[in-house]
Amino acid sequence: MSVMRLGYVHLRVTDLDSAKGHYGTTLGMTETASEQGKVFYKGWDEYDHHSVVLEEGGVGLVKLGYKCETSEDIARYESRAQRFGASVARMSKGDNMAVGDGIRITLPSEHTVELYSDMEHLGTEPGVLNPESWPRFGRGVSVPRIDHALLTCEDPAMVERFFMECLDFRPSERVVTDPADPELIGTWLFCTNTPHDIAFIKGGNGKFHHFAYFLEDTSAILRAGDIFAMDDVPVDVGPTRHGITRGHTIYFFDPAGNRNEVFANGYITYPDFPTITWTADQLSKGIFYIGRELNERFTSVVT
Amino acid sequence: MVVVTVQPDGVTVDLREGETLLAGLQRLGYLYRWGCRRGGCGVCKVDVVAGAVGYSGVISDTVLSLEEREGGTALSCQAVPAGELTVALRNDRLTAAAPWLLKQAISITTQRSDIRQGEITK
Repeated sequence: MSVMRLGYVHLRVTDLDSAKGHYGTTLGMTETASEQGKVFYKGWDEYDHHSVVLEEGGVGLVKLGYKCETSEDIARYESRAQRFGASVARMSKGDNMAVGDGIRITLPSEHTVELYSDMEHLGTEPGVLNPESWPRFGRGVSVPRIDHALLTCEDPAMVERFFMECLDFRPSERVVTDPADPELIGTWLFCTNTPHDIAFIKGGNGKFHHFAYFLEDTSAILRAGDIFAMDDVPVDVGPTRHGITRGHTIYFFDPAGNRNEVFANGYITYPDFPTITWTADQLSKGIFYIGRELNERFTSVVT
Repeated sequence: MVVVTVQPDGVTVDLREGETLLAGLQRLGYLYRWGCRRGGCGVCKVDVVAGAVGYSGVISDTVLSLEEREGGTALSCQAVPAGELTVALRNDRLTAAAPWLLKQAISITTQRSDIRQGEITK
C-alpha cells in the first residue's frame, strides 16, 4: 500500500484570532483542540482528529503530514528516504497532538513532511450508520476535507524523483520548458485516485504556494465565492478551471496571507495513468484554462 | 482625512482616518502591484519618503523585518498613515481601475494635474 492521503497541513499565522475567524467561521472547519499558540481543525467529512493546524507567529508552512496505512509502510519509506540521502528523523506518539509514531522527512526542497499511520479517531457528524449526506447546520463554505498542497522548490525534477522512488507517488502532469530538451518546471503527483496529492513548481526552496479544500462540485465553488465576498476574503484568481487537473477552482488568502484554494472535479487517476505534459509556452492555459492569463500575484506570492 | 502623496507620479489622495494605503488607493480607483492583501507576501512594499506609518495588526518579521521598517519600508496593504505621508512605489506606477471612479476621486481632491492623462481620459 502506498501513502493513503494528505492528512494534515500545519501553517503559521500572524494572528490566531483572525485566522480562527477564517478557518472556523468562513470556511466552516470544526475546532477539535487547542493548546498554547495552536489550534486544530477538521473538515466535516474528515474522521481523524485534525487536518489543519494553525500556529501563531509568522506565516507560511510548518509541515505537511501524509497518512500511511501501516507502520510497515512507514519503515519501508524510511529506509528508501535515507538511501535517497534525505534527512529522516523518528517522531513519537504525542510529538504532534493526537498523532502516533512516524517519521519526519526533510525533503530535497527543504520542506518538512511527516508520515504517520495513526491519528485519534473522532468520526463525523453524519456518522457511519444510515448517515445524512451533509451536516444540516454547517457554517460558511462548510468544507468537507483538505485535498492537496502545492509547494515551490529550486529543483522540481529532484523532488519528483524523491516522491516517485521513495514514496510511490506517480506524476499525473508535468510542465517542461521544451519537449525536445525538457527541464521540469512543475510536477503534479498522486498517491490516491485524485489528479494530485502534492505538486511542486519551480521557485524558492521551503516555500508554500497553497493548500486546497475539496468541494463537491462547481456550484459549491461558486457558493464559496459568494461567502468570500460576504466575508471580504481577498480572492487571488477564479472561479475558473485548471487545464492541469481539469479542476474548478478559486484561490484566496487567509488573514495571514497564506494562499488557500477550493477545488472541485478533475479526473480520476490510476497506477497506469498516462502522464500529461504541458509545455511552458502553454503554461497560462495549463494553470487557468478559461482566462489563459497568469497574473504576477499567482506566480510571485508565496509564504 | 490624511493627505498621502504617491511617487513617482506625485499623485495626492485623501485617505480616511485608520484606512490602510492599499484600501484607500483601491477605494479611490487606483491600481498598483499588490499580492495577498493580508500582509503575508510583501509584494506591495513601498518606500516611505516623508512621514510615518503604523500597523494595527501583527506583521510577521519574516515579511517585514525590523531593519526594513527602520529603513523606511512600509507594507502598504497593512500600513496606516500616521499623518501626512509621502510614499514611493517600487518599479511601479499608479494606474486607474476605472476612469469614472478616478473622476469621482478628483472631485474629492483637486491636485490631479500629474496623473497619467491617458488613463483618465479614455
